[in-house]
Amino acid sequence: MSFRDEVQVGSKDPSGFGVHRLRFVYFGLIGLFIAQSGLTYTTGTEVPKESALLSEQARRGEALYREFNCTACHQFYGLGGYMGPDLTNVISTEGKGPVYAKAFILHGSGRMPALGVRDEQADDLVAFLEAVAATGTYPVRNMDLTAWGTYREMHTDEE
Amino acid sequence: MKSEWTPAKGFVVAGLVALLCGALFGVIGSWQHVIPGVVDAIPFVKSRPLHVSLVIAWIFLTAVGGVYHYLPKIVGAPLHSTRLAWLHLAIFIGTGMAIMASYFMGRFGGREYWEFPPVLGIPIAASWLLFIYNFFLTANKHKGPWPAYLWMWATGIVFFLITFAEANLYLFPHFTGNMVRELTVQWKAYGALTGSWNMLVYGTAMVVMERASGNTAIARSKTAFLLFGLGFTNLLFGWAHHIYPVPSALWIRVLAYAISMTEWIILARMIQQWRSTLEEGKQGQGSMTGRFLFASEIWVFLNLGLALLISVPAINLFTHGTHITVAHAMGSTIGINTTILFASVFFISGASITKNLRMGFWLFNGSLLLFWLCLVGAGMVKGYYTVLSDLHFQVIMERIRPFIVGFAISGVGLFVGLSMLVWDGIQALLNLPNSLEDLASHHAIDTELPRSLASVNGRAVQQGSSTTARP
Repeated sequence: MSFRDEVQVGSKDPSGFGVHRLRFVYFGLIGLFIAQSGLTYTTGTEVPKESALLSEQARRGEALYREFNCTACHQFYGLGGYMGPDLTNVISTEGKGPVYAKAFILHGSGRMPALGVRDEQADDLVAFLEAVAATGTYPVRNMDLTAWGTYREMHTDEE
Repeated sequence: MKSEWTPAKGFVVAGLVALLCGALFGVIGSWQHVIPGVVDAIPFVKSRPLHVSLVIAWIFLTAVGGVYHYLPKIVGAPLHSTRLAWLHLAIFIGTGMAIMASYFMGRFGGREYWEFPPVLGIPIAASWLLFIYNFFLTANKHKGPWPAYLWMWATGIVFFLITFAEANLYLFPHFTGNMVRELTVQWKAYGALTGSWNMLVYGTAMVVMERASGNTAIARSKTAFLLFGLGFTNLLFGWAHHIYPVPSALWIRVLAYAISMTEWIILARMIQQWRSTLEEGKQGQGSMTGRFLFASEIWVFLNLGLALLISVPAINLFTHGTHITVAHAMGSTIGINTTILFASVFFISGASITKNLRMGFWLFNGSLLLFWLCLVGAGMVKGYYTVLSDLHFQVIMERIRPFIVGFAISGVGLFVGLSMLVWDGIQALLNLPNSLEDLASHHAIDTELPRSLASVNGRAVQQGSSTTARP
C-alpha cells in the first residue's frame, strides 16, 4: 500500500467530531476573535487621562523613538530590549525627570551612544516620554496578591 | 550525483543559511552585553534586529519549505504551481536581503521584536498571498476530511497574513496616538503571529511523525483535534499574558490568564505519558530525525512549564521584563521550533548520523540548556531586585553579570553546535556526501524511520500548543 493509500484509508474521520461540527467550532472561534479584536482596538485600550494621549510633539517623538530603534535597548511596561532601563516612568520618577532624560538623549552615557539628535528632537522625545509616563506606573510593586493568582493593582485599571 | 533542486529544497537551504547568520549576530549581541562596544562596526542596535529577523527567517523558510515538500505527497498530487513557489522563494530572499541592507544602513522599523521599514512588508505579504493560493489549490485535492496537520497548516498560513497586517496597524493615527493601545495591539499581533508560525512548525512535526511511522490515525484522532483546538484558542485569545502590567481593560488580561491556564492540560498529559516517552525515545536514537523530535519533547516540557508559571499574574509580577521572558522566547524558538525543524531537515535530506552530527547535536542541546538556565537565573535576580528593592538599574545589572557571562559563553557553544548541524544539513540536501562511508549509507529523499518512533515524535507537537506563542 502506498503512503497516499494509507492516508486515504485513515481519513474516514475517526476523530468522531464530524467535519461540519469542526467547522462550526473553528469559525465560531474566529467570530469571537473578530469581536475581541474590535473591542481591543477601541474601548479596551482607552486611556483614563487626556495627558496620556500623544500630542503632535509627542507623536514626532514617538517617530524618532522608532527611527533610532530605541526599543532595541529600552522597555515600556517591561516590553522591549534588556540593555538599558525601562523608560515608562523615567519622567515621573523622583530624582529623574525631563532634564535628566534630555541629558541622556543628547549626550548618551557609558553604554548608551550619543544619538546625534538635535535639541528640538530631544524635546520631542521628552514629550513622548511624558505622555508614556501619564499612562500608568511600572514596575508594579504592590504585593497585595489574591487567591486567584492575580494582584490587586491589576484590578484597578479604572483608577 | 547531485539531487534535483526544488522550491522546497531552496527554502530549506536558505533557512539553514539564515539560521547560521542569525546565530552569529546573536553571539555578537550577547557579547555586547558583556563587553560594551565590542564589534563596534555592528552596534547592538543593529545586531539585535539582524539576529531576530534572521532567526525568524529560518523558522519561516524551513517551515514553508516543509509544507512545499510534504504537501504534494500528502494529497497525492503535484504542487498546484511550482513556478509560483519559486517566485515565492525569490521574493522572500530578495526582501530578506533588502531588510538586512536596511539595518546596516541604520534604517529601522523601530518596533519591538520583528521589525523592519514597513514598506518591506508589502512584498512579504504579496509572496504570502502566492503561498496561500498555491497551498489551498493543492490541499483541496486531498480526498476525505483533512487530518489535523492540514488544519494546522491552513490556520498558520492564513493567520500569519492576518496578524502580519495587524502588526502594521501602528501606521494609523488611531493606534499611535495612544500608547496603551499601541502596546496592546502590537503584542496582540506578535503573540498571535508567533502562534501562527507554531502552527506551521507543529503541523510539520506531525507530518514527519506520520511519514516516519506510517501511522495515519494519530493526526486524525479526537485527541489531535482537541489539542489543535486548544492551541488555536490560545493563539486567538491567549496573547495578553505578555501585557499584564499594561493598563488596558481588565477583561483583556483576565481572559488571557484564563485561556493560558488551559495549557495545564497539555503539561499534565506530558507528565502522564512521560515514562513511555522516555522508553520510546531510546528507540529513536538511530536517526537524527528521531533524536531531534525526542529533544523537542524535552524542550516543550521545560518551556511549557516555564510559560505556565510566568502566565500566572502573581508570578509574572516578578518575571515580566526580565531575562526569564527571554529564556522562554529563546527556549521556544531554539529548543522547540529549531529542534522540530532540524528533524524535518534531516528527514527531507535523509542524512545519516555522522560523528559530526552527533557532536553537533549534543553541543547544541547542552549549550542551550546552560544558556536557558543562565537566562532564568538572571531573570530571577533581576525580578527580585526590581520589585522588592530600590536598587538602580545599573546595580541590578552588575548583580546579574555572572549569569550574562554564562549566557554569552554558552551562546558560543550553541553557535558552534548549530554550525555543525547546518553544515551537514546543507551537505545532505545538496547531496554531497562527506565520505565514501556516508555515500553508501546516504538515504533517498523520503527516508522512513522505525515505526517505534511514532508515538515519541510528536506527543507534544501533535498538541499544537500555543505556549511558544510568546515572543
